[in-house]
Amino acid sequence: MSNSNKLDKIKIWHRLNRLKLKAGASLDDDAPGYINPQAVRKAQAEIDDQEENYYREIEAILVRLDSTWDDIQGEQDEKKRKIMIRELLNYANNIKDIALTYKYELMGYFGDSLCRFCEKIDPTREAHRAIIQAHLDVIGVTFQTHIKDNIGQQAEELKGLLRKAIEQHS
Amino acid sequence: MKKPDKSLQKDPYDLSYFKIMIVDDSQFIANLMASALRAMGVGKVLVARDLAEAKRMLLTYNAVASSQNIDVAIVDWLMPEGDGSELILWARQHKSDSIKFMPTIVCSAYTSTDVVEKARDCGSTEAMVKPVSAQKLANRILYVIDHPRPFIEAPSFFGPERRRKVERFVGEERRQTKKSDVEEDHEQLE
Repeated sequence: MSNSNKLDKIKIWHRLNRLKLKAGASLDDDAPGYINPQAVRKAQAEIDDQEENYYREIEAILVRLDSTWDDIQGEQDEKKRKIMIRELLNYANNIKDIALTYKYELMGYFGDSLCRFCEKIDPTREAHRAIIQAHLDVIGVTFQTHIKDNIGQQAEELKGLLRKAIEQHS
Repeated sequence: MKKPDKSLQKDPYDLSYFKIMIVDDSQFIANLMASALRAMGVGKVLVARDLAEAKRMLLTYNAVASSQNIDVAIVDWLMPEGDGSELILWARQHKSDSIKFMPTIVCSAYTSTDVVEKARDCGSTEAMVKPVSAQKLANRILYVIDHPRPFIEAPSFFGPERRRKVERFVGEERRQTKKSDVEEDHEQLE
């Protein structure tokens, strides 16, 4: 859907602000509202409490990621492969989402890198397969070693390994 | 954390009558957002794991206008079987007003303006960049309540007005539609 600058008729719908009414305010009250800051803090505490499930969640995604990658390499049908790559991209995106929610910056960094690479991958090319494998390797090490920060010697080493693999196979 | 001041309304918004639908294939992230919204006081939170389930929920709750309608949909941009734009385009083209005018918030882990622009162009009301936080969720919901934009129906677009500024637009005017070609509909209280 693109921007429309045509010379055709345009209709503008001015709707009643039902949400404002539902939230207990009146329609003629122009003052902005707010959500109880205490409730927002409580909501953040709910999010923070789930950090204890971080490793279990990431592990489950890594299992699916590995399995999908195995399937992609064995699949000959291009249409099916495309669907699987979309799954791979989605798992990488899930890793990134969850990792960054809890400030697992290095995992988030690799998840993001894998997401971006999945958008241009051609699994029939050996070089691309090597780059995906390098991503899976560094993600696996990051998970096993519980590295959280994106800086520091270990993080830099892992990022360097991935960078080298990408440069070597691009 | 933003505290209420004199320019704000006296009481915080009561979200206990709100029904919000989260569409996210990640059960973990969906549950995270759902529990945060409940803690924020949202009365009912529904979770759809894919686009088909989201469409079914909208047809169930929003086929006709009622107090049971889903008020806001928070839609993940990237899902295995398609992106969030598919659901928003479907909703914006729907015959039911409770579906086509429903506010939507697109969620994306991509920070690029590209996603924000795509979300806007497919008719999304708002966009929220992941990672999820309670403050981000609260801000987006507040924005949807406090800053409703008129809907524009044009030959190749249906959705909230894409220009957000209230002030007069300054710059090269690229819109070529004459005033006489614009029809306005002001909904009235029944």
